[in-house]
Amino acid sequence: MWGFYFDELIRSLPFFLKGVWMTVAVSGLSLVAGSIIGFICGILRAGKSKILRVIIGAWVDVVRGTPFLVQVFIVFFILPSAGIELKAFPAAVIALSNLTASFICEIVASGILSVPKGQREAATSSGLSSYQQLRYIVMPQAMRAIMPPLVGQYVLLIKDSSVVSAIGVVDITRVGWLTVQRIPEGIMVFGLVGILYFCVCYPLINLSSYLEKRMTVMTVKL
Amino acid sequence: MISFKNVNKWYGDLHVLNNINLEVDAGEVVVVCGPSGSGKSTLIRCINRLEPIQKGELVVDGMAVHDKKVNMTKIRADIGFVFQSFNLYPHMTALQNVTIAPIKVRKLNKKKAEELGREKLTRVGLKDRINSYPAQLSGGQQQRVAIARGLCMEPKIMLFDEPTSALDPEMIGEVLDVMRSLAKGGMTMMVVTHEMGFAREVASRVVFMDEGQIVEVAPPLEFFKNPQTERGKNFLSSILSH
Repeated sequence: MWGFYFDELIRSLPFFLKGVWMTVAVSGLSLVAGSIIGFICGILRAGKSKILRVIIGAWVDVVRGTPFLVQVFIVFFILPSAGIELKAFPAAVIALSNLTASFICEIVASGILSVPKGQREAATSSGLSSYQQLRYIVMPQAMRAIMPPLVGQYVLLIKDSSVVSAIGVVDITRVGWLTVQRIPEGIMVFGLVGILYFCVCYPLINLSSYLEKRMTVMTVKL
Repeated sequence: MISFKNVNKWYGDLHVLNNINLEVDAGEVVVVCGPSGSGKSTLIRCINRLEPIQKGELVVDGMAVHDKKVNMTKIRADIGFVFQSFNLYPHMTALQNVTIAPIKVRKLNKKKAEELGREKLTRVGLKDRINSYPAQLSGGQQQRVAIARGLCMEPKIMLFDEPTSALDPEMIGEVLDVMRSLAKGGMTMMVVTHEMGFAREVASRVVFMDEGQIVEVAPPLEFFKNPQTERGKNFLSSILSH
């Protein structure tokens, strides 16, 4: 019995690899877009403008306070009623980028705020502009606090991407759903799904703990 | 060089600077003293607008610091500021600490800036610590790097906010020596400090503050020998008695 399904599963491997590719594509694009938006918003959230701080704070609260599945549905099913029609793939990338950006925003903002106030005062006193202070004084120090949780967030992003299978994106999870209809061995099929996610995430998990160690050592050294 | 006219500042209801009037001429060394919470630090932090003032006029080197429209970047570049807690950049070596502003603000090329940085670090006695990171330096050495960082901008004024208060006693001397030699070189300085020996020796005038007001301004010998006010007497007896 097992043997038969196992051969079947092996024959489905190319299909699974397509799913892996889709997961990597959705996650990768969201990682880049989410990082860019998240860094910009995080810098503004730790900045001087109160209006921007409040607006970004409200956005973060809304994104964090609603289930990701609902956010995906809003982008895919509700935006079209406002005249914005999206295919599943771009809808998935938009929703996932938005989610990631909100978390990265908070990581970046708290990293920036962890740099002692005196650093900015010293830079201000030397005549460095706000941009120069950020670029040369604040960010290099903030990155130490930002890097480890940032990579951790990337791992979460890959795992959260499984939710977009709900709108028909054929990622690893969706491939699992489709395969299990032909091969009724849930443990085996979703065992494979789990292994594949792990293979994608594992290098990042390693990177995360490496950075965590390295950043701690650097802080101690300084 | 620095001119306070009826300067007032509040933190909420707290009147931290109360009608300050003070003129500091070029080449003068003015020591500001007074009990904690008297507004000394605030006073000198207003000069490069680390703290804004709410009322009055504050003119530094011909520029109106009280005017919110005035761009402070240029004035700040001409004023060195030394903090109690050094505030060196921990991710940069001593040389990088002192050259970043000359490169980015004065637009010196890297080679010229490093030449300048070496010269100033040598001047404060840290020739052999040029490539050390702040964490590898003692408190006294860090504070001397901070002074060199100010000097690299070839400032017209140097401000010191309790530069020795965070130092172990055996390191105070080396920092004061550098400040002494600066003062003798004709630098315009305002120094908030409790080092009365330093004040006696190099100050042109001592400003005594209490509760946000300037209570007395006098040459050091006069102030220490014969303070004119009750508050001045009390302050002196409290810091000189131990």
